[in-house]
Amino acid sequence: MLSRAADNIFWLSRNIERADALARILDATHRLTALPQASAGTTNEWQSAVATAGCVTAFQAAYDEANERTVTEFLAFSPANPASIRNCLETARSNARAVRTALTGEMWDVINGAWHRLKNFDGRNMTREEFARFLAFVKEASLAFDGSAFRTMLRNDAYWFSRLGFLIERADATARILDVKYHVLLPAKERVGGPLDYFQWTSILRSVSARTSYHWVYRESVKPWLVADLLILNRQMPRSLASCYENMSRYLDDLAQFYGRQGNSQRLARAMLTRLDNSTMEEIFQSGLHEFIGSFIAENNRIGGAIAEQYLV
Amino acid sequence: MRIRVAHETVYRYELPAKSAIQLLRLTPRNHDGQYVVRWRIEVSEDCRLDPFEDAFGNLTHSFTVDGPVSELRIGVDGEVETQDTHGVVRGSLERFPPSLYLRGTELTRADAAIAAFAEETAKGAEDALGRMHALQTRIYETLTFDPDPTHAATTAAEAFALRRGVCQDYAQIFVASARHLGVPARYVSGYFLRADGKVAQEAGHAWAEAHLSDLGWVAFDPANGICATEAHVRVAVGLDSLGAAPVRGARFGGGGERLAVTVHVDQAGRQSQN
Repeated sequence: MLSRAADNIFWLSRNIERADALARILDATHRLTALPQASAGTTNEWQSAVATAGCVTAFQAAYDEANERTVTEFLAFSPANPASIRNCLETARSNARAVRTALTGEMWDVINGAWHRLKNFDGRNMTREEFARFLAFVKEASLAFDGSAFRTMLRNDAYWFSRLGFLIERADATARILDVKYHVLLPAKERVGGPLDYFQWTSILRSVSARTSYHWVYRESVKPWLVADLLILNRQMPRSLASCYENMSRYLDDLAQFYGRQGNSQRLARAMLTRLDNSTMEEIFQSGLHEFIGSFIAENNRIGGAIAEQYLV
Repeated sequence: MRIRVAHETVYRYELPAKSAIQLLRLTPRNHDGQYVVRWRIEVSEDCRLDPFEDAFGNLTHSFTVDGPVSELRIGVDGEVETQDTHGVVRGSLERFPPSLYLRGTELTRADAAIAAFAEETAKGAEDALGRMHALQTRIYETLTFDPDPTHAATTAAEAFALRRGVCQDYAQIFVASARHLGVPARYVSGYFLRADGKVAQEAGHAWAEAHLSDLGWVAFDPANGICATEAHVRVAVGLDSLGAAPVRGARFGGGGERLAVTVHVDQAGRQSQN
């Protein structure tokens, strides 16, 4: 496959996954800010949402204050933000159009349909209810996209590139949520989790749609170190860092087998998988959760770069 | 290098055994030089394979079989992608500080002969790494590979007295000597892709790892006289061959038993590294 085609497929999935992650972050933030101040605390959750999306600099250039209106507009609709939900879906559609013949009809219908429906949401003067409908639409589009890819694509390099884009973005999104919220997950002996913490932890789970999964896995009340365990090391959890790297290693290995040669991206991804496999939460907390997440994000970017260098340029 | 491993252990009992219990250290972990692509354990009887990690972090399975059973087959089939790290083992799971591996065991006790051999070998070398390399080379040169005189429970001292043995004996003599010189060392069980292209082997392979302060764990394979390469698939570690044994078990009833082991280690699909 031409690297240009591989590049488009990779970024197509990455953009769809990014739109989905943004929708979940916005949803969780809306819920958290709807709570009374006493429960939600004094931190500016809208500021956190921008940080989680990783576009603080661009946001500050465009707006003075982080509040519901500005953040919603910036993360969801702003044409000035290259990584807003609208731009993600539009870029995804142009990626898809460039490789239309490498996609199945079902996948194209999903993306093209989402792009058309996007025009119904102008982003100005939306009520909260309308905005909730918009977020539901974005999540549905990403579910339909993954579903159509899973059900219809040939398992060859095109499929593997699409999964790699999706997994790199997914790992990045989970890590950035942890990066912004790590301070509420640190085990503090003297502090008993009050309502503030409870809502913060639940909000983290919601932003990766894992609130029910959490209770299935741990069968107890929400505890910060278990939230961290679920999002970092638990392979059952499809958004956890370990699960992303388990699958990335597998798809990179499939690619290596298919092309008959392997390189840096395989080695780096396997090294990361090994590192996650051989870690325990105690060790991660001891050596610093924030440092761990920081180095993960840097390494994940590096692996994205290695994939690009090896296959996409 | 992509290595395909098929390893089968077959127990045949003279009389059907009432029940059997087995402990399997047959599943490799990932580390920087090794990625397990797929790995499966199959047992010929209906049973539940109970996975857990032993104290050293080895992936271990246990199972019990309710008989009567006259034949028990334990098969392993897997593929591992390896890279040459010049013997240096990085990214492995370490549950203990290296000093724990100075602890001697009955199988790896250095008697007077091994102690003298180790000290004499160490004389010419400048640093710990040099001493370990000298040890590896001298064990390789001194011993004769011979599967007949030794067995699974032969100690390092016994094998050294005979100057004969198999990879297990080579590795245990290395471990005993290194510990005598104050270098933490451990026994490694695994698989080895032979350079001569012989795919069917009588048994798995074994070698040793020594901990050096500047390099960390380094794998020495005295039976081949080389540091571990991409041809080595590392499965389990322990203080001696018993601690890293691939298959251990006991049975109730059954009279005499015969054990047959077949190991196939082959290169799967050639790839080039870029």
